[in-house]
Amino acid sequence: MDEMQEIMEDFLIEAFEMIEQLDQDLVELESRPDDLDLLNRIFRVAHTIKGSSSFLNFDILTRLTHHMEDVLNKARHGELALDSKIMDTVLESIDMMKGLLSHIRDSGSDVDSGIEIEVVIPKLDAISKGEDPVKAVAPAAEETPKKAPKESEKETPKESESQDDDVDYSNMSPDEIENEIERLLSQRQEEDKKKREEKIAAGESVPQPPKVDIQEEETKPEAKAPTPKPTPAPEPPKPKPAPAAAKKPEPAKKAEPAAAAKAPTTAIEQTIRVDVKRLDHLMNLIGELVLGKNRLLKIYDDVEERYEGEKFLEELNQVVSAVSIVTTDLQIAVMKTRMLPVGKVFNKFPRMVRDLSRELKKNIELIITGEETELDKSIVEEIGDPLVHIIRNSCDHGVETPEVRSEAGKPEGGVIELKAYNEGNHIVIEIKDDGKGMDPDVLKEKCIEKGVISEREADSMSDKEAFTLIFRPGFSTAAQVTNVSGRGVGMDVVKTNIEKLNGIIDIDSEYGVGTTMKLKIPLTLAIIQALLVGVQEEYYAIPLASVLETVRVGHDEIYTVEGKSVLRLRDEVLSLVRLADIFKVDTVFESAEEAYVVVIGLAENKLGVIVDFLIGQEEIVIKSLGNYLKGIEGIAGATIRGDGKVTLIVDVAAMMQLAKEVKVNVSQSMAEDKVKKDKNSPSDYVVLAVDDSNTDRAIMKKSLKPLGITIVEATNGLEALDIIKSGDYSLDGVLIDIEMPKMDGYTLAGEIRKYNKFKNLPLIAVTSRTSKSDRMRGVEVGMTEYITKPYSPEYLMNVVKRNINLKMEVTS
Amino acid sequence: MNNKMQEILEKQQEQKNPDTETDDVVQLVGFIVGNEEFAVPILSIQEIIKPIEYSRVPSTPNYVLGAFNMRGNVIPLINLRLKFGLPGRKDDEETRYIVIRDREEVCGFVIDRLTEAVRIKESDIDPTPETFNEDVNLIYGIGKKSDRLLTILRPAELLKRTF
Repeated sequence: MDEMQEIMEDFLIEAFEMIEQLDQDLVELESRPDDLDLLNRIFRVAHTIKGSSSFLNFDILTRLTHHMEDVLNKARHGELALDSKIMDTVLESIDMMKGLLSHIRDSGSDVDSGIEIEVVIPKLDAISKGEDPVKAVAPAAEETPKKAPKESEKETPKESESQDDDVDYSNMSPDEIENEIERLLSQRQEEDKKKREEKIAAGESVPQPPKVDIQEEETKPEAKAPTPKPTPAPEPPKPKPAPAAAKKPEPAKKAEPAAAAKAPTTAIEQTIRVDVKRLDHLMNLIGELVLGKNRLLKIYDDVEERYEGEKFLEELNQVVSAVSIVTTDLQIAVMKTRMLPVGKVFNKFPRMVRDLSRELKKNIELIITGEETELDKSIVEEIGDPLVHIIRNSCDHGVETPEVRSEAGKPEGGVIELKAYNEGNHIVIEIKDDGKGMDPDVLKEKCIEKGVISEREADSMSDKEAFTLIFRPGFSTAAQVTNVSGRGVGMDVVKTNIEKLNGIIDIDSEYGVGTTMKLKIPLTLAIIQALLVGVQEEYYAIPLASVLETVRVGHDEIYTVEGKSVLRLRDEVLSLVRLADIFKVDTVFESAEEAYVVVIGLAENKLGVIVDFLIGQEEIVIKSLGNYLKGIEGIAGATIRGDGKVTLIVDVAAMMQLAKEVKVNVSQSMAEDKVKKDKNSPSDYVVLAVDDSNTDRAIMKKSLKPLGITIVEATNGLEALDIIKSGDYSLDGVLIDIEMPKMDGYTLAGEIRKYNKFKNLPLIAVTSRTSKSDRMRGVEVGMTEYITKPYSPEYLMNVVKRNINLKMEVTS
Repeated sequence: MNNKMQEILEKQQEQKNPDTETDDVVQLVGFIVGNEEFAVPILSIQEIIKPIEYSRVPSTPNYVLGAFNMRGNVIPLINLRLKFGLPGRKDDEETRYIVIRDREEVCGFVIDRLTEAVRIKESDIDPTPETFNEDVNLIYGIGKKSDRLLTILRPAELLKRTF
């Protein structure tokens, strides 16, 4: 039993491997129907699966593959020209074969899979007889349901033959029937013999020098298979021939899997199958070794400092370097064992594109390059789905119909290029079409229409940002939901999957010319390069795959727009968030004048993360935090660094999400706190008015009087700063004049913003300076609002009320 | 044949029984957190170490101090004072980390000081008083050792994430 199980598992693994190659071969075959090599390869797959499945008693699968084999064999011998109609049927039957195999994998049997092979078998028969498959379906379909599913494969052609003869069995006597059966059987045997001879003759005449032995091996058992038949033939009763014919070939077929199994192994290099778990374990051990190596390097550095010039250092250096090199090599070697060519995924696309282009009545060619590029197994498994969505999208929305294309002066056939190549520690998968491209304005419009973004957001968007809108959930430009796409789910899936892999999506498009999408994916997941950063006294590791660049900026380069910090980086506006805020790091010391911004990119998003210092790039091993600390938002795992300390690894995707919430949460929770915290009457709100002119302060007080809030006064920047720093009042807002002695309003605002706890304190500039550059400067230093003198009392009142979150009704 | 077997088995049983009567003893390690003495089965303890450096893990309750490195493994560190709702205090000479394992799960716990390894007869362990209903699962029972009372904790429950 166990042995059977093992054989079956092997069979399934082998079958699925062969099928992967099969799809590609078939599509290729359509363009080169005379390619014997291809035909032979395809035939062998059907043949092998037939052989193994009959051995394992998968009758339905055997029956189906047998009929496929018939057709393919004819094609192989040049008796049949493959056109697209025939190909459709063949592909259909291959799909069924796949379905059956998956069913076997899941349930261990091919019965009750819900796959109706009876639909396609008559078509296959018709093809092998040289008829039009479509026409054949109608009469044959009527015939087939009558038959028991376990009937011999030989029965079907026979039945249709007898139909041709038009013999009326019901009027015959038993003797006559017996004679008739005998007659039919011998007729059948004659035919079989002839066929066999033809087959052998054809099989040997096929000029195919390198594979001759395989060819022979295959034809031989096949030739043998029908030979035992003459013996049971004379036995008369009617039902007999069927089971006899079905049973007899079995012993011969037993030999077949062996022969077939030999065929692929001789063709490729020597391999052994290894359980992935063992490789994972090996990878873990290597991880430990890498940690040890890091530690050793660190210790060596310390030793070097202390014993500079000593002789033994040289020796130690040599050993450390040797260990380090070997470890790195070992790591690469083990990583390579887990690598699979990305072609494993690419293989299914030619077929997909072919089907889609037929369905969509477009003429699309898929050009694949770099399929030999290798990727970690776990990643190969993950990128299949996103690529399916992207390519479907390119077929449906990208490439236009032939009519539109020729009108636009393009060649009628569209081209989709699928490219894979290495770039540093990444693999880049590029999907490029020469279709209609995307119009950023249309994208924005659609998004506004669907409420995905607001009009203001749309205005401030660059073209490139607009392209990334297609990744928003719920987005779809298709006017109609088609079979292929338009439900607004696909691209969202792409984004999530690529994010999971710490990958980056880059999208570029030119309207009318085409779209290019680049997926940048790290090569492996277990050991990664990371950027180590420090926040106050804590360290975090950010996967280098997600780090685009690091920049050092002064505090004055950080702007505040609608309460959010942003940085202007070249021609992009980048939202900023402090890592300390995301992970709620306690402030132990004041941050320096300058901050480091780590620009991280994930899928199509970018974010600037402010950290206190950068430590450097290091190779880290990802370790789990165990069940107790698993799944903490924003933390992907931990690693142990050279100094033996635990450093947490940032989950970039989750951090991006957290970053969005940070602002909202901080301001909201502060507002809530304030309302809750003994702010029962308006007088509990305290606003500091900073102005050197008594009159101006009086006007402010008078304007704000209806609010009933408490107003504290200061006559210049320094005084104001002292009041704020002393903490005597819990201030809700500050009104700041710009021109003041000792310290002006800009400097004051800048000073206030240096303190973490006053980061969200509303600072309202009240000034007579009205020029644009003054306003800009105000924004730069961190002013929340900018009011120009003269102002109406109501205006000031409303601005203050809004900023300090005063919810109470104005009393007077 | 069968009877013989039966006899032998019965003999063995007889020999065993008196032994187990006296041997029905649990070995525990006692430690102090706050003013109380607690204990955990000695077999659940992987090791006891002096305080070492740990890294804070964000978005966790205050009693989860973070994670530390024990010979290449990342292990969570939990402060039992804070977990039991007692005020925290600074580590001193007697502070220890008890590393407790339950199947695959391992956690370190900060305790004030160790007392001793104790052997307690199963019969000297009272079930948890009903008034304790909150932490009923965490506490296995109350052990009596001469004039002392030990709160015996269940390792599996200690290692259960409750946030």
